[in-house]
Amino acid sequence: MSAIEVKNLHKAFGDLKAVDGVSFDVQQGEIFSLLGPNGAGKTTTISMLSCLLRPDQGDALVMGHSIKADQMGVKSVLGVVPQEIALYNDLSARENLTFWGKMYGLRGAPLKQRVDEVLEIIGLTERAKDRVGKYSGGMKRRVNIGVALLHKPQVIYMDEPTVGIDPQSRRNILDSVVALKNQGMTVLYTTHYMEEAQELSDHIAIMDTGKVIAYGTNAELVKIVGQMDRITLTVSTDGGRVAEAWKVVKGVKQVKAEDGTLVVLAEDSNQVLPRLFEAASTQGTRITSVTIQEPNLEAVFLHLTGKALRD
Amino acid sequence: MILSSGNFAVTSGFSQGDTDPRLPVAVINQDGGDPSTSSGLRLSLRLVSLLENSEVIAVSQDEEQTLADYEKSLAKGDLAGILTIPAGYTETLLTGNLPPLILEADTAQTAGTTVQGEILAAATRLVSAVQTALIVGETSSAFTPAFEQALAAWEEPPIRIETASAALVETEEQPSTQVASLGHTAPGMMLQFGIASLLTSATVVVNERKTRSLQRLLTTATRRPHILLGHFLAIFVLLFAQFLVLMVFGQLILKVDYLRVPGASLLVALASSLCIAALGLLIGVLAKSEEQAIAFSLIPMFIFSGLGGAWVPLEFTGATFQAIGHITPIAWAMDGFKNITVRLLGLESVLLPSAALAGYALLFFLLAVWRFRRVSE
Repeated sequence: MSAIEVKNLHKAFGDLKAVDGVSFDVQQGEIFSLLGPNGAGKTTTISMLSCLLRPDQGDALVMGHSIKADQMGVKSVLGVVPQEIALYNDLSARENLTFWGKMYGLRGAPLKQRVDEVLEIIGLTERAKDRVGKYSGGMKRRVNIGVALLHKPQVIYMDEPTVGIDPQSRRNILDSVVALKNQGMTVLYTTHYMEEAQELSDHIAIMDTGKVIAYGTNAELVKIVGQMDRITLTVSTDGGRVAEAWKVVKGVKQVKAEDGTLVVLAEDSNQVLPRLFEAASTQGTRITSVTIQEPNLEAVFLHLTGKALRD
Repeated sequence: MILSSGNFAVTSGFSQGDTDPRLPVAVINQDGGDPSTSSGLRLSLRLVSLLENSEVIAVSQDEEQTLADYEKSLAKGDLAGILTIPAGYTETLLTGNLPPLILEADTAQTAGTTVQGEILAAATRLVSAVQTALIVGETSSAFTPAFEQALAAWEEPPIRIETASAALVETEEQPSTQVASLGHTAPGMMLQFGIASLLTSATVVVNERKTRSLQRLLTTATRRPHILLGHFLAIFVLLFAQFLVLMVFGQLILKVDYLRVPGASLLVALASSLCIAALGLLIGVLAKSEEQAIAFSLIPMFIFSGLGGAWVPLEFTGATFQAIGHITPIAWAMDGFKNITVRLLGLESVLLPSAALAGYALLFFLLAVWRFRRVSE
């Protein structure tokens, strides 16, 4: 059963089409990632799904509630972890959680109990009385996530929750996302880190310039580039002549000359690479650099858009 | 009379005893009297006597003190002046002329000019008496009684002009002019303080938007008007508390009688707080940055305070200015408070101003809700 059904969402800011006909389904209890570079439209999409922005066109159902017709219904099943640290720095972690818990409708003993539980989940029980302003970036991120868990939402949106934090805190957050899934929550996760999407997601939608350009599981998406290694080489002579020679090398599936470099798609780079060196030598050409990229989402994005995810 | 001014600064706190409030003046009498008279008439002594009876000057004569000693005292501020009656004073006076006196005092100071005036008055009185006696008593034996009589006549002049300052007739219900003045100023300052808190209230909303806390609030199952209402109530409570503190201060320290009709004072303070809080909320919703919030707050702060009579009473302005002033909520708040503290009216007199303020509050709040809905979508 779908937890989130997104149907042809559109949102423009003036002439800029931030989201241009986005559709996807998120199944209950899965982690679904929206992967794309900055400016791809991920945050705008999540803002519409949070009822912060009204779509120009299209609709979405969150646990059966329309983001257009039943905003309060959507909000009642939803927890949002914004990209920014949306907390009150002058309050302690406990005070922040208590305040936000009240905003989510909790009161009295259940609120106090839930705040204690969330402090335990985010590992900040010992520092609960310290002002959030004094916390490290990673600790603030954990409180930021904790706020969204207070009312035990069925669906949780996490908008680039690992931006700007140290590797250890990042690891903690990724582990906590998996823990949320294990508790039965549906997680919609946006990121521009390919590794995060690969590690966490059951399904991934790759976005660019406001559109979903690919959608599927990690394995399905990688198949787009045919499970082939991508070898990028620079050579000392005319690339076009070398490319023609390499096309007939055994194991090479495709050769493209791009911006002074040669991109070779091959089934096994370990076997093909010595042959490429040999062929280049025959042509009187010297290979000056080699980069090997195994099939992954980065390669998929590169294959689909011709640019890197972090461009 | 020769005045030496500006050499010494006579300030205040002359040490002429703790109980004598008069200005201490040292007198050096070099007058030897009139050698031609058998009695050795010394009119300088009469001058000193006149000065001793003065209500303004306290004469100080010490044979052991020199002019230099007195000048040191003058420099220290222990004296308000040094009067030297030169030799030949009596002889010159007996010719019917005003003989020169030497006064050292700082005429740039009030004390110096006061001493100068008092000595001049005494000297003039003396010369007038001498002139009178010279006319009446042509012989030396007749001079003295005539002189004494003329001098005594100054003590009881046939015509006396009494002056008195006009003052308000005070009744139990009417405040003194000072209190009446504060009755305007204190509410004006109080409203000025109140409207100055627009800066804080507006930046609260802007900062929440900057930290994205406001957007996060919008993802909770709380309606937009309720979120704004929460902000509004927080600002209102702070403002109302500020009004209460300032009213207590005004009542206890400035003696502005807000408690004369406590219900009325509270009503105006309540309505003013509602109005300013709603305006602060509107500015917070309109402003896109902290700088804009500050700028948007300063504009109504100055315009409303200036036009509304918080700085200058609208009663001092023309009918047109008053009408324009009443476009601003501050004018209504001033009316409300002044009806209590200056015009000494009752609760019913603040109902209209309070209703006007509540109307402004509702208008500002609705505009804030409308704008908030637009900007957040």
